Parts: sequence; structure tokens; C-alpha cells
Amino acid sequence: MIAHILTAFALFGVADDKIVVEAGRIITQSGPDIVDGVIVIEDGRITEIGPADDVDKPWDAPVIGGPDYTAMPGFVEAHTSRGLDRPNESLDVAPFLDVRDSIDPVAFYFEDCLRWGITTVNVQQGNNCIIGARGMIVRPVGLTVEEMMVRPQHGLKLSASPKSGKSRSTQAQGMRRAFDELRRYLEDLVQQKKDGDDFARREALHQGRDLEGEKAEGREMGGTAWKVDGLDMVPRGEIDEKQEPLLELIEGRYNAYFYCSSPMDVPRALEIARDNGFLAKTTLVLHERCWKAADLIAEAGVPVVLDGDQMHIERDPLTGKEIETFVPGVFKDKGIRFALSSDNTDTHSLWFQASLAIGFGLDAKTAMDAVTQTPAEILGLGKEVGSLEEGKLGNVVLFSGDPMSITSWVEHVVIEGEEVYDRSKDVRNTHLLEGTKPPGSTSAEDAEEAAKKEADDEDDED
Amino acid sequence: MIRSVLLLALLASPTAAQDWVVRADTVYTASGDPIDGGFVKVSDGKITGVGSGRGGGGDVLECAAVTPGLIDLSVRIDTGSFSVEQSEETPIELNVADAIDLFSYRWDRELKSGVTTVLANPNDRAVLGGLGVVLKTGGGPSLDARLVKDDAVLRASLGSAPASGNRAPRGSRPSSFYFRRPTTRMGTEWVFRKAFYDTIAASKDAERRTGETDVLARVLSGELPIAVQGWATQDVRTACYLKEEFGIPRMFVDAAAEAWKEPDLLVRSGAAVVLPPFRFEGQTGVDGAFMAYNTAALLQEKGVTIALSGHGTSDVGMRLNKQPGYAMRGGLSFDAALAAVTINPARMVGVDNRVGSLEEGKDADLVLWNGKPFEPSSSVIGVLLDGELVLDPRPNDDE
Repeated sequence: MIAHILTAFALFGVADDKIVVEAGRIITQSGPDIVDGVIVIEDGRITEIGPADDVDKPWDAPVIGGPDYTAMPGFVEAHTSRGLDRPNESLDVAPFLDVRDSIDPVAFYFEDCLRWGITTVNVQQGNNCIIGARGMIVRPVGLTVEEMMVRPQHGLKLSASPKSGKSRSTQAQGMRRAFDELRRYLEDLVQQKKDGDDFARREALHQGRDLEGEKAEGREMGGTAWKVDGLDMVPRGEIDEKQEPLLELIEGRYNAYFYCSSPMDVPRALEIARDNGFLAKTTLVLHERCWKAADLIAEAGVPVVLDGDQMHIERDPLTGKEIETFVPGVFKDKGIRFALSSDNTDTHSLWFQASLAIGFGLDAKTAMDAVTQTPAEILGLGKEVGSLEEGKLGNVVLFSGDPMSITSWVEHVVIEGEEVYDRSKDVRNTHLLEGTKPPGSTSAEDAEEAAKKEADDEDDED
Repeated sequence: MIRSVLLLALLASPTAAQDWVVRADTVYTASGDPIDGGFVKVSDGKITGVGSGRGGGGDVLECAAVTPGLIDLSVRIDTGSFSVEQSEETPIELNVADAIDLFSYRWDRELKSGVTTVLANPNDRAVLGGLGVVLKTGGGPSLDARLVKDDAVLRASLGSAPASGNRAPRGSRPSSFYFRRPTTRMGTEWVFRKAFYDTIAASKDAERRTGETDVLARVLSGELPIAVQGWATQDVRTACYLKEEFGIPRMFVDAAAEAWKEPDLLVRSGAAVVLPPFRFEGQTGVDGAFMAYNTAALLQEKGVTIALSGHGTSDVGMRLNKQPGYAMRGGLSFDAALAAVTINPARMVGVDNRVGSLEEGKDADLVLWNGKPFEPSSSVIGVLLDGELVLDPRPNDDE
């Protein structure tokens, strides 16, 4: 199996510094479509894009694509826990952990990402936590986490919904306590400094922590919510690593990905984010039933990732009939920025999510933005990915036809100028499409006979 | 209750039925070539005209495409908690019509997603599970109002389902002392075979005739089709072999996920196939069966009659109205995909005189779409059932 993966996916090892992508239609997302267009990618970035007649193609660059293809920006997965060996940590509050240690580069999920044209993935700890690990943005190629890395230490996971075994009250208490403890810890630290106590420094030295350069300096506490005065007296390297990520969350270093499984969790999440000054960096990760809190979300002005199904189905208690609510439609009407996620079905496919949303009545532009530009902006990568423009990363997906049609396939994927997927070499895709005939079955025997006959015919021709 | 009474009153008086003209950019009739810029005329619950142009003589509904109402032969309609018959392995004479909950909310789910006719079957926990009925998904909550065909099929089941039936259907402990079901595939097949041998014996010895052998005699004569559930390859094979062994004229293999492994055997035996819902991962989760994307296309190419099914899913992306799209992703042509949810299933259960295509004289079951049917980017926006508008495609429908 590893051999198959290597054949289909190992091209990234032999990167050319230039590549030309041609397509009958280029969907740029940031501007109008281009008919018979060309994209030139050099050193991983798009240097030119436009109609074939207007673009100077480097004579020495390899060319992929052609007039039959449609090019799209690579899709951006706004939030997932799927590439992780195990998505959840048993500790309730563990912001000092890092998904980097848990990402499995050969997880099927990453292979599937390429198959479906997803080129940027925000990997965050699972939802079963109070405060979870630090996440990471990756591209789904590479045999080590370092190769995959796009943004290390991106984002912190929080959940307003009860971790298993907890009630909503303990969950809320747990969230508040984490920040209270941080405040008390910092106050103690400052007091120790004032008292001339050297314990924190000795502990840092004992643990071999970095106390050089920036870490030797103290700094006033940043952020907009609450402050502990005198923190500038404490060199940053002396702050306990277990507490540091939360401090940095308050100071605005991390995006917060806040999970809510029920509309009743939304006000709690917003309250915690507001009280601790990271509302502006917060993205809500929502189960579909959370559309009922749309007004609150709109008022808070935070973007959301739709983690659940697009259609919320509930039973009317009076008539017993099913009521269907198209969730992205509600978000759009309320002016909430939203990204669709492929976590909600077994498709792993953002392309399919966007197409489904169009079917339910969302306009095509918003639907396709929700899997490209909007998640890119949420991840802070709006200038890097999400659309096809000069200067952006060369992440391009070539479809065999209209990207929103059920009969189209992802044929080629280019990430930062390297072709990383070619459907014609994808063994697993062939297996999904045609199955693998078991030896001894009549169909397998037929196939063998046909192959033999063909070989015989060729012999005859010779 | 008041509403049901009203509905009944409406159905009882055909004069209340409205005349409609459905105009569509494309009319997919499932009985001939699609008509660009055509219309379907509906009067008194029946289709009274199909053609190109604008038509006239009724209230107008407009849409991008219109197809016949969809037909699901594997719909899993709720029959309530006490749905597994424990008294014997072959409750052949039982009729599911006696157990169907016509008040279930699931009917509405099917109807509003474009499924207008279904085969309701006894569940799959008995080897020969009884008789199924073909029903409309809407209308008054009485069997009379909805019945399309009584005694439509005999339900049979192979594979793990009947063999796992020696447990209580809910909860883990046996709830009855009637535990004498087969516990292996061998046993399942033996029970099936014995029932048919008994029938053959009864045909020569009148004293051995029972109600059950009478039903099976109708299966052997071809009057009654038999629907045999078999997910995995070995169960598809067993179904084909049984069909050949007893010369059963009309059989379709239900949920035949692995039919792609034995297309030639299916052709040889003449069995038709109902496919379970598509899975992006291929794995169906039942009996280890894997369904390749191209299953429908391959069977069609080999000449096997196919129908697709939604299997009663609540997932809006996996309902019957999306299934033909997935089959097309595997290489099936649009026309064949349309037939697989309309006229093919209608023929399999012998109701094609009433439903399954847009032709004059047939029931006015129409599905209206806002784009090319079966694409994920299209939706069912309107449904007519027996000429009754049950989902209104016109905007600002009291919202």
C-alpha cells in the first residue's frame, strides 16, 4: 500500500521551481472567471494569471492541464480533528499540548484531502475538552509533520459543550477556573518578584527553559480584557509553560476555535471570549442546531465553521412533522461569515459541501467562498490561499468539468507549484470506482480471459 | 385529526382536484427522449398531456426540470417496535400492510424529497418475511387512499439479517421462547429451499397444500415477484442460484451492494437488482459489503435491470433524489439513472401501468426541480401527488 501511495503522491520530492497550469476555465474566486486561462507558478507562488494570449509562459516550465479542465483555488478546510492519531486528550485543560505531536502524516484523511482537492487544513484537537491543545495549519503532503507545516502553533481549541462525563455547569466552571488560575498564578509570580523570591527562575533553569533574548525580557501584559500589573518585572522565560499559552491567547497570539454543540453553549462561549479579551480572534465551530443562536453570533461579529450537517432537522412537537432548516442560509441572511466543513459527512469533500449548499438555495459565489476564501480569511491566510491571484501560493485544483457537478473529478492538484496528485495514478480511487475483483469470481475470470485474448490477438498481429 | 378528516374529504371528492400545467425547461418523461421547453398537463389526478410548448388549461407551475415521481423499492418505512415476527422463520402469509404506521413523519420526508411511490416490505429478519405492498407516500392516512398494489412482492432475506434474528429485536436478552431461526447462512438457505420444496410437493399432493404453499406457488408461477435481500457477494450468488434452481420467474435482489462482482451470474439468472445507497467510502457497513462507484453503470452495461434506493435515510445528501447522481459519477448515463428511480422499479413490482413515467393516463406524480435533476447543486422544489400539490415550488409560499 505504501508503494501505491508513493506512486500517486510522491511527486513533491522532485519539485520544479516553475510550472504552468492551463485550463479552459479558471475560477479565481477573487475576480471574474478566465476563459482559456494560464497560471504561471514560480517558486511556489503565482507570478502570472490571465487569458492564454496575455500571459508569457516560461519556455522551460512543465505544463499541466489543458482546455478540457476547470481550475479552482485549492479548498481550505477551516477546522478538523481528523488527521490526528487520537483527537482528544484526557486532561480537561491542556493548552500546553500541541497537535504537532499527534498528527499522523500517513493518515488516510490527508490522502483523501488531495483526492478531493483540499490543499490547506487547519488541524485542531477534538471537541471533547475544556481547553485543548494548540493546533496547526498543514498542507496534506509530506511524510513528516515538518514537511506538512504551513503555520505551526496556530489556534487554541476550546469547547463550551460538556466534555464527556461533565455537566454544562462543570464545563462553564472549568473554563472560568482556567482563566482565574492564570490570573492568580501571574499575580503570585509578580508578588514573588517583588519579594525578591527567585523560585520561578530556578525552576525555569532546572527545566532547561529558554531564558535568552526575548525570553530574558519582561513585558507588560497585553490584551484588552484584564491585566496583571507588574508583569514586565517577570522575564517571559520564567512563566510556566503550562500557563503561557492561555496568557498568549489573551494577548492575542492565538486564534480561538470555540466548539458549541447546542445553541445554549453559544452565549457561554461568547462570554468567556469577551471576558478574556479574545473575542476578536474567536471562531465558533458549530453543530447545525446552533443556527438558533444566529442573532447572538451576528451581534458578536464572529465567524463560524459549520461542523454539523447543512440541514437541521427537528420534529415539530405539535404536528410531529419534520422541520428542515438550511443552516448556511440562516447565517447568510444574518450576515455571519461562515465556512463549510467536510467533517459533517463521510465525503471528506468541500467541493461536495459547496455544491449541496447551492442546491439548497445558497448563491454559487457565497457557497464556493465558504470553502475557499472565507476559511482562508478565518485562518489568517487570506493573502496566501483561497483564491487564484498573482502573489498567492500556487495551490490549484484541476477538475475534469464543472467543479460543482456530481460527474466531475479532481484530476490534478498542485500545491505551492508542485503537482502532488494525479488521478490517473491514484490506485485507491480506481478501487473505489471499479472495485477490486476477487480472484475466482466469474467477473475476474472474464477479465483474465479478456486480457489473455487481447494478448493473443497482439501476438497474432506480430 | 381534523386535518386528516379534511384530507380524506378532499380525496373522496375527485372534483376537488385542481388542473395544473407544469412548464419546464426540460421535461424528462422516462418513456422517451427529454422534451426541451415542454409541459405536463394534469387533470383529475391524472396526466392528460405531455408535449413541447407551453400547454394551457390550468394553473401554471414553472421549473427548470420535471421528472416522474421517484419510486423507492427499499424504503424502510417504520412499522413500529413490534416488527420482528418471532413465531416462525417463514411467516409467508403475513402482510406488512397490517403493520404500517401511516401516521409516521417519515412519509412526509419521502414525499417532500420527491419519492411518491414506495414498496413497503416486512423487515429483513425472517428468511421469507411476508408480503409487501406498493403505496403512495401521501394522501389520507388510510391504506385505501394510498394503496397502489396489494400483495406486490414476497419478501425474502439472506445474509446475516435473518440469521441474527434469534435475538430480541430491541435489547440484548431474548424476549420470547420462539427461538428457532437459522443461525447460519447454511440454515437460511435451507429454510428458503425447504419452503419451496414443500410447495413443489404440495402441487402434486393436494393434502399438503397450505396458505403458505399457495403464496409460494404464485411466486413459482411468476404472478408474484420475490424481493431477496442480499448485500454481500455470496448472498447475491445464493439468490441467483435459488432463482435458477426453482425456476423463479421474477426476482430482484435487494440491497445488492456487491452485485458488481457477479454481473454475469445476474444476467444468466435473469434477476434484477435494487442497489443500496451510495457510499463515498464504498463500505456499506452491512455484511462487509463494498459497493464500487461504477456498480450501477456496470450492471446497466451488462444488461441487468437496476433500481436505486434511498433506504430510508434522513441524510439530505443521501436520499433517493441524489442517488442517480452518484450512479452517474460511477459512469451511468443520465437516462439510465432516471429510469433506475422511475420506470425500472415500477416494472419490477408491476405498477408501471400507473406510475414510473410521464405519459397520458398515468397518475399525476410529478417532481419539479430547480436545476438538472440529481445534481447535488439541484433540489426538489415541488411535488405533485395524484395531481395534488404537496410541495409548492412557487416563491413566498406563506413564509
